[in-house]
Amino acid sequence: MRKYREIMRVYIKAQLAWRAAVAFSMLFTVAKILFAWLLWGMIFRGRNIVAGFTFHGMLSYYIVSSFLSQLEMSGGISGEISARIRNGTFSNYMVMPVSIEGYFAAMEVGVVLFYLCFDLLAAVVWVFVFRIQFVFAKSAVMLACALLMTVLGLFFMVQLNCFLGILTLKYEEISTFLMIKDNLVSLVTGSIVPLALFPERVVGIMRLLPFYYVTYLPSMLFTGRCAEEAVRGLVVLGLWCVLMQWAIVVTWRKYRVKYDGVGV
Amino acid sequence: MREWQRMDNRKRGRDMNIIETRQLSKTYRRVVKQEGIKGSVKSLFKREYEQKQAVKEMDFSVREGEFVGLIGPNGAGKTTLIKMLTGIIAPSSGEIQVMGFYPNDLKNDFKRQYAIVMGQKSQLFFELTVNDTLRMFQEIYGLKEQEFREAKEYFTALFGVEKLLDVQVRTLSLGERMKMELMAALLHNPRILFLDEPTIGLDAVASRQIRRFLREINQERGTTILLTSHYMEDIRALCDRSVVINHGQKIYDGETEELFEKYQRDRQVTLSFDRAVEGMELPERAVLVEETPYKKVVRVPREESGALLQRMMEYGPRDVIVEEDEIGRVVERIYEEGA
Repeated sequence: MRKYREIMRVYIKAQLAWRAAVAFSMLFTVAKILFAWLLWGMIFRGRNIVAGFTFHGMLSYYIVSSFLSQLEMSGGISGEISARIRNGTFSNYMVMPVSIEGYFAAMEVGVVLFYLCFDLLAAVVWVFVFRIQFVFAKSAVMLACALLMTVLGLFFMVQLNCFLGILTLKYEEISTFLMIKDNLVSLVTGSIVPLALFPERVVGIMRLLPFYYVTYLPSMLFTGRCAEEAVRGLVVLGLWCVLMQWAIVVTWRKYRVKYDGVGV
Repeated sequence: MREWQRMDNRKRGRDMNIIETRQLSKTYRRVVKQEGIKGSVKSLFKREYEQKQAVKEMDFSVREGEFVGLIGPNGAGKTTLIKMLTGIIAPSSGEIQVMGFYPNDLKNDFKRQYAIVMGQKSQLFFELTVNDTLRMFQEIYGLKEQEFREAKEYFTALFGVEKLLDVQVRTLSLGERMKMELMAALLHNPRILFLDEPTIGLDAVASRQIRRFLREINQERGTTILLTSHYMEDIRALCDRSVVINHGQKIYDGETEELFEKYQRDRQVTLSFDRAVEGMELPERAVLVEETPYKKVVRVPREESGALLQRMMEYGPRDVIVEEDEIGRVVERIYEEGA
């Protein structure tokens, strides 16, 4: 595990090398909170409850969900693997005595930890500045479920992007797969069409997919909602992680021999 | 295992083949498309491929501690061979073993025992300092703190890079970066070092330094080194044994000096005069390469260089320089004629 911890540290250090990027990342978090405060402030003018949320409940949900979405940055993994397979520099990872998936997972943890620390700091400061009464789940079990689901969700996205990246060995071009993945994630998390507009059966099917549990459900759990879905969410997500791990191992074993390392 | 024990084992194992291939071949398949939009549309429906055999039935072996040069023109198959030996690509057919492993199994135990440095690829993190990158390699290769510190001190002193360890990699010059690449690669004291064009783009001073380091690493640490380079100075200065590859086939495998001796056919004689010399008579097989009234450069077959000099003395030259055949011409001959 020490080698993966060091890889993670290297990526934290790599991000800290750029001062402007650190400053803008914090500024971005601050701007989002400011924008949400203004927007929801206007919507809640003269009303105490909107769609079952209080003003502070809504802001809490928004801050948590946008924070979790910001942490999910694994999309870069598939791009990196794909580009490196195509230009022949993927061999840099192949010659190191590490698991390739482990390397990218450690890299992702490094990146996420970096944003977690700095953005959390910015978010906490602004929660105090705007006197947002943060609404958190009161049950420790619920918080633990939310936390575990967040970790599993982020891990699943790393697995998925690793898997899609490895498919470059077979298909050479994976942008279509990435597009499908991005649209599916947007659809299932309600970014394209609110989930409430779908028939119950369709939403039921979506709940069998892992994306529902990556940012949406953990955000709800953190803010004390949808407690009844917590266990099912963990089971579904856990099964998807196992399935994806199997897919990665099989795909890598089968298509590794197709790598020709051309281009350099 | 302690450092001295490992080195001792290496010295004892010098008669063993650390690398062995039999009838090794690699064939690439690549898409062929006719020119223009029509060709692109046609290729969308019916894809045509051609086979390119990069390495053909190669028998090749290296003993522990050897310093072997792989020579060949672009596309000869040198890099493909190195990629197969390091497990980066899988062979199409034939047998291969490196330190007892089938390389393309990509076992971590195998990968811990070799290092590869490619002149056109970097293992370093450009945003980080060298120290940070070395620390990562320490953990990846599972080096103990003392082992790491000793290796780092050894290479820092050898490469003379004490002042560069805390500098961002992206700010280093090409020569400095190559020293750091070698340092990162050698930190875990690999049994085999694969080098693919390590001096590419380097100036004469940096190339000479790199050559000196490589020689020391081979002699002092017993590291087996396989070097590909387009610069024949690298091969001649470092490798006792050379393997010439062309069109994926081995055309020579033997002593480097013997190879150069065989193809070193001419001498180049440069004569400088204090007065203008016109209409100089040359022996039949001598060729005037360059001529000004005060300077003549003549190329002559090696066995006739003495006769040429005798005749030239009649013109009273102020200075005479006799050089070996230009290395580029020797290489051209090797590739053209096959060894």
